[in-house]
Amino acid sequence: MGRRNTWTDISYFAVIGLLTLIAFLVLVGPVIVVIVTSFTTSAALKFPPPGFSTRWYVDLFDPVKSRHIHIAAYNSLWVAGMATAAASLLAVPAAMAIARVRTKAARAVEAMFLAPLILPTLAYGLATLMFFTLLGYRPSLWLLMIGHLIVISPFVFRTTVASFTQLDPVLLESSASLGAGRFYTFRRVTLPLIAPGVAAGAFLAFVASLDNVPVSLFLSNARTDMLPIRMWGMIESTLDVRVAAISAVLITSVVILTLLMERLVGLTRRLGG
Amino acid sequence: MKSHRLDRRQLMAAAAALGGSSLLGRPAYAKGPLTAAIYPGSWDEQYRSIVLPALKKAHDVDLALEPLFAVDQIAKAVAARGIAPFDSFVLDPGPRVTAIERGLLEPFDGKKLTNASKLAATGVDGWGAAVNSQIVGIAYNPKKLPKPKSWKDLFQEPYASRLGLTGFQTTFGTVSLIEMAKAFGGSEANIEPIFAEIKKILPKVAAVTAPAALPGMFQQGQIDITYTNTNNVSTLKSRGVDIEFVMPEEGAITFVTTLHVAKGGENKDNAYKYIDTAISAAVQEALMKSPAGLLPTNKDVALAGDQPIKSLDDLSKLVSHDWTKINPQRAAWIERFNKEVTK
Amino acid sequence: MQVQDKVGWGLAFPLGLAYMVFFAAPLLLLGSISFYEDNELTRLGPANWIKFLGDPFYVGVVWRTIMLGVLTVLAATVLAYPVALVFYEAAPWVRRLLLFIVVLPLLTSVVVRTFAWIVLLAREGVVNQALLAIGLSPVPLLQTQHGLVLALMQIEMPLMLLPLLAVMQGIDRNLVEASRSLGASRWRTFLKVLLPLSVPGWVAGATLVFASATTAFISQSVIGGGRLVYLPSVIWQQAMVISNWPFAAVASIMLLASVLTGIVALNAIGRVIHPAGR
Repeated sequence: MGRRNTWTDISYFAVIGLLTLIAFLVLVGPVIVVIVTSFTTSAALKFPPPGFSTRWYVDLFDPVKSRHIHIAAYNSLWVAGMATAAASLLAVPAAMAIARVRTKAARAVEAMFLAPLILPTLAYGLATLMFFTLLGYRPSLWLLMIGHLIVISPFVFRTTVASFTQLDPVLLESSASLGAGRFYTFRRVTLPLIAPGVAAGAFLAFVASLDNVPVSLFLSNARTDMLPIRMWGMIESTLDVRVAAISAVLITSVVILTLLMERLVGLTRRLGG
Repeated sequence: MKSHRLDRRQLMAAAAALGGSSLLGRPAYAKGPLTAAIYPGSWDEQYRSIVLPALKKAHDVDLALEPLFAVDQIAKAVAARGIAPFDSFVLDPGPRVTAIERGLLEPFDGKKLTNASKLAATGVDGWGAAVNSQIVGIAYNPKKLPKPKSWKDLFQEPYASRLGLTGFQTTFGTVSLIEMAKAFGGSEANIEPIFAEIKKILPKVAAVTAPAALPGMFQQGQIDITYTNTNNVSTLKSRGVDIEFVMPEEGAITFVTTLHVAKGGENKDNAYKYIDTAISAAVQEALMKSPAGLLPTNKDVALAGDQPIKSLDDLSKLVSHDWTKINPQRAAWIERFNKEVTK
Repeated sequence: MQVQDKVGWGLAFPLGLAYMVFFAAPLLLLGSISFYEDNELTRLGPANWIKFLGDPFYVGVVWRTIMLGVLTVLAATVLAYPVALVFYEAAPWVRRLLLFIVVLPLLTSVVVRTFAWIVLLAREGVVNQALLAIGLSPVPLLQTQHGLVLALMQIEMPLMLLPLLAVMQGIDRNLVEASRSLGASRWRTFLKVLLPLSVPGWVAGATLVFASATTAFISQSVIGGGRLVYLPSVIWQQAMVISNWPFAAVASIMLLASVLTGIVALNAIGRVIHPAGR
């Protein structure tokens, strides 16, 4: 096929190329800036930093000075772990029930299960605060876990539904026709096939819980401090450079985990649509 | 689909390990916990690094600090409907009156404090104990601006365009704005002049922010002048920020900050231990030194360091306020300020 | 698609129950609290609704919140489409790399990314230093709406790109080749072929961006500051500072309504541009 590099095509390449460049600068730039800033010698967040040091990392890992940060990080991990486990246990069967049913009722239930993805969770966070307070519960990690469970379940639900819809029904039928029980078929045929989808969803759910602000904002307190809320406090009041160090640690962990998940379950393929 | 299959058992084991180990790994609390509200920023930092270890050492109590301004503490306690969200309040004179009226405080028994006698006669009453004095005035960057003299200077160039404004949510914000209103001819009952002045300079001010954000803004060079307390200035100075405190010629402001036991709190005895530790000479001495610069209430502590006054007696010469007049108007001021500054 | 009848509703019940108790019930409670007149929840009445809807300030806040969402969607679109076009033309390994670059920020904490923008947008921050270096004068970015839109665009762009890239991946290459061989320029091919076909992905992405940008409390408060008031900060102020639950509930419902309106509008736009798309 003949290429006609007309002037309009050149303008096309120039505009698209330039905008793509800007897009990547905007996407990746801030992440790099944070990592570089975390190695500053100064107590102010100046970029470029005046000198190189690891003092903020030393401070961050100091068990006394940064105890509250460690507790917040630990609380966040606990809530994310529990909420992800619970979300997987609840969402996988639900996805199984709904995925291949095409009735209106099934679509409605599916929409409800996905609703937390697009509804403003800040409103939901306030609603949970009112709900638990009026029921007379003190704030606790368990309440945070429940709030997070609702907000992150859609991630597991969505990727699992996608896995089910790709599942070849012939496989299940042949397993059944060979005399396998329903549970046996589920365990030996269905589960191994949907596992990567579930795992990808669980990973996204875990990250979403770690990152959650709207629910934690209302449900956490000094005893149940969550990392993003603690970081927000540090950013708002003191612009503590340790926040840059925490950020760099989080970014590095996410890069490693994402690469791992990409290898294991093809994470990026499961994110679209 | 590629055949990277995760074994179900591995997944379950991983999930269980994650959940289980976290459960086992919960830090054990020794003599019980204590949750105390504390002002965000320099108070939070200093209480965390000084009072927290002192309390752990003296009474084996694990202190968790929740950064909230006085008004926010009251809102949170009211919203919690009888279930105290923390065990101890830290309040300034105005919010203290509100907290008493709203029945949020436990009647205070000064006899439970070993250090009560070290405070001035008015330091302990039936509701709480005085823990630090605050002095509020003007803070500016001497490298960028000439030294300001009066509250009025903030509303003129070169100051106005470098000014960081904050509203009535905090005690320091409220009393500063009242004093500015007075400088322009107003009073505690009539603060219209300050709203008029703010309106004039609003298009050019450097920033209007939440009170907690002011120190960060100053540190980043976003603002070069604001109104704040001396302890915020010392904390910033200790980080190498160019900042100086100025007592305006109309007079700097002072008020006493008090600690209280929350009604319905889970750990009342620990709250007394916490308050006793906070007013002990050793802790007050440490809180006074840089970087905190918190003015002591314990008479055994000699005033030292970078302070705008020579002795604690000088506090009586500074401006103080009648909160019974201010409190009824404050909620309306908060809302009005927030509305008027909105673009 | 084969309809499955072997698995029953029993499997969906546990999650359904959790949603009823911990999702639907709190939201219903939120709705009913908005119809109390006092904070002690003793007097029923529409006073807080009247106060909200009758005050031009709060109506203005709703409008500004919606506009913030619209601006963020527009800004994200301008940058996301070129990336999607590059993705469309790229070799498989480049596509994988692009996807990875898009996914990474998404998995990086929103608080971290907001924090990064403070370093970038401050008066003596990276952007202003760059402006100075090329001989321009610094511009205020923190505490301005354009600064906030810039930061939100970075924070939300991956949400638009993922569905967009997924749809792009599925567009038949022959259609583009056909268009080009009929003499259409690249611009025309983009406008007449790729754009309409990719609209369903854009609608899905724009929905997520709009919902997320209007709700992004921390970015709005940290980057936007005290002079830019949006619904989330009204909700926060009323619930946690002024402690007026009913009014906070009204503001929350207005936020829900604004987001739903935005979603409906975006889908309507999608249907106009691409009638066959969902």
